[in-house]
Amino acid sequence: MGEVTFNTSAYAKIILHAVKYSHCAVNGILLADGSKIKDGSKSPDLDIVNAMPLFHHSHNLSPMAEVALTQIENLAQTENYVIAGYYAACENFNDNTVEKCPGQKIAEKIAEYFPSALFVVVENKKLVKHLTSPAIKIHRYNDGKWKLQDNNKVSFDTPFVLETVSHLLEWEGYKDLVDFDNYLDDMTQDWSNVAIEKVVEKIDAVNRDSGE
Amino acid sequence: MSDNDYSLASIGDLSEDEIFDLLRKWRESNERKSREINKIWTCRPDVVIENRPNEKYLIYEQIILATLDCNNSLGAIMVINTLDKQFPRSLRVMRYKAMVLESDGRYEDALQVLDEIIKVDETNAPARKRRVAVMKAQGLIGDAIKELVDYLKKYSADMEAWQELSELYLQIGEYSRAVYCVEELLLHQPHSHLLHQRVADIRYTMGGVENLELAKSYYCQALKLNANNMRALLGLILVTNNLLGHYKPTGCSKRKEAWKLSRWAQSEVTKKQREMRGADDNALTNMMLSLSISE
Repeated sequence: MGEVTFNTSAYAKIILHAVKYSHCAVNGILLADGSKIKDGSKSPDLDIVNAMPLFHHSHNLSPMAEVALTQIENLAQTENYVIAGYYAACENFNDNTVEKCPGQKIAEKIAEYFPSALFVVVENKKLVKHLTSPAIKIHRYNDGKWKLQDNNKVSFDTPFVLETVSHLLEWEGYKDLVDFDNYLDDMTQDWSNVAIEKVVEKIDAVNRDSGE
Repeated sequence: MSDNDYSLASIGDLSEDEIFDLLRKWRESNERKSREINKIWTCRPDVVIENRPNEKYLIYEQIILATLDCNNSLGAIMVINTLDKQFPRSLRVMRYKAMVLESDGRYEDALQVLDEIIKVDETNAPARKRRVAVMKAQGLIGDAIKELVDYLKKYSADMEAWQELSELYLQIGEYSRAVYCVEELLLHQPHSHLLHQRVADIRYTMGGVENLELAKSYYCQALKLNANNMRALLGLILVTNNLLGHYKPTGCSKRKEAWKLSRWAQSEVTKKQREMRGADDNALTNMMLSLSISE
């Protein structure tokens, strides 16, 4: 099985989405860097470079999901991303399994086009103000099933990722996260969340400087 | 209205009056704001709720819900004890006690307290609804549905309950039952564009020409009631494009109508998008291009 790397802002968006709507199930799409995926490999290394937050309500209805996914597909084509996975957090605090997540059909559809797709489940119980673990479980599609990945096959682009995201939580960065539902309510909002990417970059830069 | 006009950090700087104004505003607009209220309760011991005789009990109830949401059941118990002294044997206070048990995961005990309430007062609707919540918290969706259906046999005018039942049916993929619930809601609020849109969303999800036709009509009605319902506009594009594939290519009046509707909805979306974000943003237009079919 190939290794999976998350960049900090993609990971941050997953966590902020789950925290912003902690009373709801949430879901979204993971995008990998297309130029780094080697063809032919059954389970290639994946660089998850972006996450697109989708919904926090009406999970079981298809129209808006179709609209969002078509948009993401367009974005992926122009930016050379690959739609490589799906993330979700369960509504019920105690649930952290793929079976209890909303939108499994979306995830299976992704796996149809990208056979070694990821399914990331947020571990609600490990979501704390000062993160001590990534609080996500990563599954990879293999032989028609979502197989839980060993955590040591998952890495982040910087060693400061937990600190950075903990900072964001402390500063209530989740209030600025925009998902597709928010965008449909108010189209002036940016659901690609460039603002969050910029903040993450800044914190990362500070961390790097103080680390050296 | 904006989320950014205060932050958790600034709660320490607010005056007592400002805090009570905020709490009132949230109560009146039905905003839960649990993080903020829990923060006020834990970080502002200088704010004396007892000084507000007119609204203190409402505030206490607001705090109980917020603290429970934030997994601060100790906070909730403190407030409940205050209420308990003031109103011994109150069923309303008992219900809050059940909620504390529920938040601690002691579901059986919570159900017992709720059943006691119902035994004393058979018409106690909130306690019956709480039973549904206890089922849901345990992930027993089937039981929650059964309980809620029983509840609605007695309280058929409870809109909130119909809404919840439709959500539960959607969760288990019982679309036609979910539609029934939303139609029930529509009877009470025939001018709600959101409910029309919801019926259309479910019909579209069910699929098949008949459902798509219905979805089309409901999306149109939603847009008639509120021309700015973006979900209905986008839904209309999807549904008409789908229908175009089902009709015979020539001489079909239904096909012409769907074609016209589709074109209209697309131009509306483009227009709205320009208004909102300026002409350079055309994410949705691009999306429509990739969906669009040729005549």
